[in-house]
Formats: sequence, structure tokens, C-alpha cells
Amino acid sequence: MLNRRRFLTTSTLAAATLAAPGLVTRALAQGEALKIGVPVPISGAFAANGKFATIGALMAAEEVAAAHGVAVSTLDLDTEGKPATAVRKVQDAMAQEGVKLFAGGILSSESLAMGKEIERGGGAFMTTAGADEITGVDCNKATFRWSVPTYGAINETVRPIIDALPDAKKWYTITPQYVFGDGLLNAAKDVFAEKGIEHVGNSYHSLTDKEFSGYLTNAIAAQPDVLLLLNFGAQSSDTLRQAVSFGLKQRMTIVVAWASGLEQFEALGPDICEGVYFGAQYWHGADSALNRELVKKVQEKHGFNPNYSFAGSYICAKLLLEAAVKAGSPEGGGVAAALAGLKYQGLTGEEEIRAADHQVIKDYYLLKGKAKADMADKDDYAEIISAGKSFLAPEDAGCTMPA
Amino acid sequence: MNPLDKPWAQLALALLTVLILPLFLKSGILATEILIFAMVVAACNLLLGYTGLLSFGQGIFFGIGTYAAGICLTRWSVPVPLVLAGAAVLGAATATLVGWLSIRRQGVYFVMLTLAFSQLFYFIAYTFSGLTGGDNGLLGVPRPSIGGTALDAPWSYYTYVAVCFVAVFALLVMVTQSTFGRTLLAIRENEGRAAAIGFPTRLFKIEAFAISGAVTAFGGALHAMLIGVAPLSNIEYHTSELILIMTIIGGSSSLFGSVLGAGFYLLLADALSTVWPRWLLLLGLVLVTVALFLQRGLWGLVERGYDLAFRRERAPETPAEEH
Repeated sequence: MLNRRRFLTTSTLAAATLAAPGLVTRALAQGEALKIGVPVPISGAFAANGKFATIGALMAAEEVAAAHGVAVSTLDLDTEGKPATAVRKVQDAMAQEGVKLFAGGILSSESLAMGKEIERGGGAFMTTAGADEITGVDCNKATFRWSVPTYGAINETVRPIIDALPDAKKWYTITPQYVFGDGLLNAAKDVFAEKGIEHVGNSYHSLTDKEFSGYLTNAIAAQPDVLLLLNFGAQSSDTLRQAVSFGLKQRMTIVVAWASGLEQFEALGPDICEGVYFGAQYWHGADSALNRELVKKVQEKHGFNPNYSFAGSYICAKLLLEAAVKAGSPEGGGVAAALAGLKYQGLTGEEEIRAADHQVIKDYYLLKGKAKADMADKDDYAEIISAGKSFLAPEDAGCTMPA
Repeated sequence: MNPLDKPWAQLALALLTVLILPLFLKSGILATEILIFAMVVAACNLLLGYTGLLSFGQGIFFGIGTYAAGICLTRWSVPVPLVLAGAAVLGAATATLVGWLSIRRQGVYFVMLTLAFSQLFYFIAYTFSGLTGGDNGLLGVPRPSIGGTALDAPWSYYTYVAVCFVAVFALLVMVTQSTFGRTLLAIRENEGRAAAIGFPTRLFKIEAFAISGAVTAFGGALHAMLIGVAPLSNIEYHTSELILIMTIIGGSSSLFGSVLGAGFYLLLADALSTVWPRWLLLLGLVLVTVALFLQRGLWGLVERGYDLAFRRERAPETPAEEH
């Protein structure tokens, strides 16, 4: 019971051999080890994402340890995909292990809850969760978010397609009926209105739906030029599979606005993905120095390409740990100060952490599925059509950062 | 009757649990969660073990307690004792409504009705996101304060919950030992006969539902203050399922069995979840084992152990009487 946590001390040897004590500021100079909690779903429905996230955070910890000569350990916290469990694990990690840094929180509900708790405990938290509220109305001093919110995701997928397909004037949407889905839908409607697109219909579904044929039939009846899927994860995969089996790919352009990246392509396979557009937070083929370096390292060490879960966790952990080294302490205040306003070369190119709402300003990608015959390797499922940064101003996003 | 089943022994075991948890657990949060679920599972046991009602509606009452605390504490700053009392009253009222409608049918139809209500309340909470926070839940639920000092330290809040737990457990022991509790047992054994001798069985079942709902909502409110959030997942039918699983594992023949069931599940989950992602498989095996070989749950094992230790011969189990 008492040993349930698995500490992965990653860098003691590296620290001993590569230590550059002079570079490490006062609080870490006395041999203090940095600990970073990785609260992700390790069991349950999202266990696969959690597994890659823990490996990603571990790789970041190893790199920071080697680069700065400090001991760094990661602490895997299984949230089971439940906010209540996530908060309890975070509370325990802070109270018992003194952990102040946390990188993780794949699901929005658990990330929002953990962010509040970590703020209360004086820590710092960086997440890849999607809910706009994280850097919107529920923003707080301790919470940072790497992923692009719904506004950017829609603007970087819908606008380029409208420009590329000027004759596609009628769009139909399928939306999960909750805050995140409505965020995507409202952003899409704004773009439609601006660009003179006719929104010929929308089908709402619940978060528990697995059968989408009724919604697809409605979409067919509306005769759109483009079908825009605003659901995510297993639901968007199921919708897309069923749409393809209904023959919709031949009748209209299909766009998945919020894809989960390589994991989703692997689950769907090239036959389904071919010709379909996907919006993505990360793609291993992105042309940036840090990404090329990461892909090379992950291939060498693990023999696979980093997916979104891996990359998101890696960059969040790396940013937090480097900020703690810079601040000389893992305490939330110092880390937040070191992160706010930071500009750096990230996985998507030049990235910046906006001080006003703690949102990372980074590229969002529009991908297009390749034919199987055109794939250069087993993971070359898609080509990058465009990439760009679209963000609401912090005040428009609803963030009033507490003093 | 095994001496451990006597009311004073049950209460003593509950007190002992409160005292020894801090000695064996490093985590005050986990210990507090065990006590909260222990009272919630004991309330479920009042329905399953004492009244013979397998309800999938416990998550409704737990969620309602959670939201009552979330809304009252984050929006109106209502004093915590009032919040807890209000949650219990709201839980009792909701349980009365659910019970009044569900117990019109028996067996599988009763179970299906409670399941349907569970889904209904989930979607109500999901739909009225302005009130409940929808999928994101209500954030920033504060913990109670005593003498101006917030009980933010895990073991401080544990003490607060421990007092509540002992009081609630004692109340449930009193209920089960009262004429009312004996009548519930009679209804469980043979409802037709209980009705024939003049007991208004439907009213008794509704009252059992109301007590169970009150305690469960009370636990839900304490849980929201523990984790600082009122999440949608607390009102999902999975919560009902979880409470039922704990009840069955612990054993439905004793209130303290519920404490064992809650503790066993939460400790197992906590220990295994980071070690093995498929730990729920083990839970399935535990349930199969309990269903096949340990129908009195962990409490049955305790009773057997006590009998062996004190060299008492176990009384032969009386088969269910046929009527």
C-alpha cells in the first residue's frame, strides 16, 4: 500500500557524470531532486493515451536531468479518467511526496479539477486537455495549456478548406452535445457566417452514442458539400467509419476538426483516412528542429514515432522542469513566473506561452489522409496541408487571471 | 448470532476503523474517501441486505449530495452544517420520489426502473450545465472551517469526516436494530407474509429508500468537499455500480461488512491501478469469487475467522424458507 507509487528516478547517474552545479540555481544546488507528477489515465478506457504520456514525460525528465545536472523523477498517477480520482491522486502526491509540478490531464473535466487543486496547493500544472475554460473563464495562476483551444482548431481547419474548395458552399456538422462540442460548433458557425457558407444542418449526439447512422442519414438528406465532424476520440472514429461505409467519401468532403493524431490513424487505417481532412495538435512529420530531434530519439529508444499523447506529455513536462530549474525551485509561483511570456522553439516551431491566460501559442495542423500506396512508411498516413496559429485574445476567451 | 454481528460490536469495529486507518495509511485523502464510501455503502446495504432491494439509484443520491454541496458552497457560501443537512434532506426527498415510483414493481423490473432513473438524473445534470457545470463539473468547492481555520490538511478533514462517519454508522445500527429494521428484514424474507400481518410494506420500503438516500447524499456532499469539485461522474450510473460492487464484496449481512467492502475496493484500486492497467480484471475475479464461494462477502470470512479462532461451531446456515 505504502509503495504503490512508482518512482522512476531517471537521472542519478547522468546527474553525477554531467553535473554542472554552477548552472543550477540555489534551491536545487543542495542535491534537491525535482519530482514531476504525471496524472493521466493509466487504466480504464483511455489507458493507451496514458501509457504514451508517461513514457513521454519520462523522456523529458531524462533530458532535463542530463542537460542541467539535476536528479529528476517522474511519478505516474493513474486518474482512471475520473475527475474525483484525479484530484485525490494529485492531493496525495502534493501532501505525501511534496510534488509541485504536474504534466498531464488528458480529459478536460479532470484537468479543470486538477488545475484548481494544484493552484490551491501552490504547484504548477501544464495540460493538453481541450476545454476552452482551462485558459478561459476558469484560468488560474497555476495552470498552463499546450493544446490549441476550439477557436484555433476550427479556424485552422475550416478556413483553409473553404479557401481550397471555393465551390463547397454547403456544410453539415455532427456535434457532441456538451461544452466542448458547442465551442467547436459556435466557432465553425462564426467562420461560416464570415465566409458566406450555408450551414445546411447540424446533428447533436450524446457523449455515450456509438451508432451514428441516423445522423449520417440526416447529413445525406441535407446534401452538403462538406461534412464537418466535431466529435473526438472513439466517437469521431466511429462516425468516420460509418460515414465511409455509407459511401459519403465519394459524395462529399469529410473533415474531422479535432483528431487525436497518429493513434487515430492507426486505429482507422489508411483506407478510411484516405482523402479525409483532419485537424491535429501535433504530427510527427512536422518540420521543426525540436520535433525532428524528438522523433529521432524516440525511434532510437522505443522504435516508434511519437504520437500526440507522447509529444504533449513530453513538451509539458520539459517546459515545467526547465522552468523549475530556471526558477531554482519547483514552487508554483516561481515556475509560473518563469513560464509566463516564455518564447521557445517547440515541437510545432516557434511557440510562446501567453502571460495573460497561460495559453501556449502554437501551430494547429490541417492534415489530409494519404492513399496506402503513397505512404512512405507505416506511419506516413497523412500530409500536412497547412499549419497556423489562431487564438482569441485572453479577454475574449474569458480569462481574468487572478492576482 | 455471531457476537461480531451484535450492534455494540459493529459500532466498536467502526470506531476501531476510524482509529487505525491513520496508523496504516499514509494518505489522509484515501483514508477519508474510505470513510465516506463506507457510510454510503452501508446506506446501500440497508436497501440490499436489510430490505432485499437491489438499487441502481444510489449514484443519483450521491450526485445530488455532491451538487448540493457544490452549488451551496461555491455560489452562496452556505454554512457547511446547513449544507450537509440540506444535502441529506434533498437526498431523502429524491429517494422518496424514486422509491415511490420504483417499488411499484419487483425483481428485475424494479432494478430496471432504478437504472432508468439513474440515467434520467445523469442527463438532467448533463443538460442543466448552467447549474451543475455539465461535463466540467463545479470547481473550487471549499472544505469546512472550524474556528476560522479551514480543514485543508488531509488529516484535519479526516477527523471531521470520521466524526460524521461514526454518527451516521451509529444511526444506521440503531435503524437496523429498531422495530423498523426488524420489519425490513421481515419484508426481505417474505413480503407477502409481512403485508398479511398488517405491515404497510410499501411505506416501509419507501422509508428505507429515504434513509438510504439521505445518508448517500450526505456522503456525496462530504466527497465534494474532499476533492474540491462536484464532478458529473458522481451522478453517473457507474457510481451506483461501484457502490453496489462494494456492498456485495463487503457482504450484505452486516453493516460493518460495508466498511470492509469500501476499504477493500478503494485500497485495491489504489494499489493496483498504477502497477497494472488492467487491474479491473482482478476486480472481476474478486466478484466471481464472491458470487461463487463467498456469498456473505468479506464479512462472511471475518465471521468464519472468528469462529475458528474461538473454536466455536458455526451454526448451520438456515436455508431460505419456502412458502
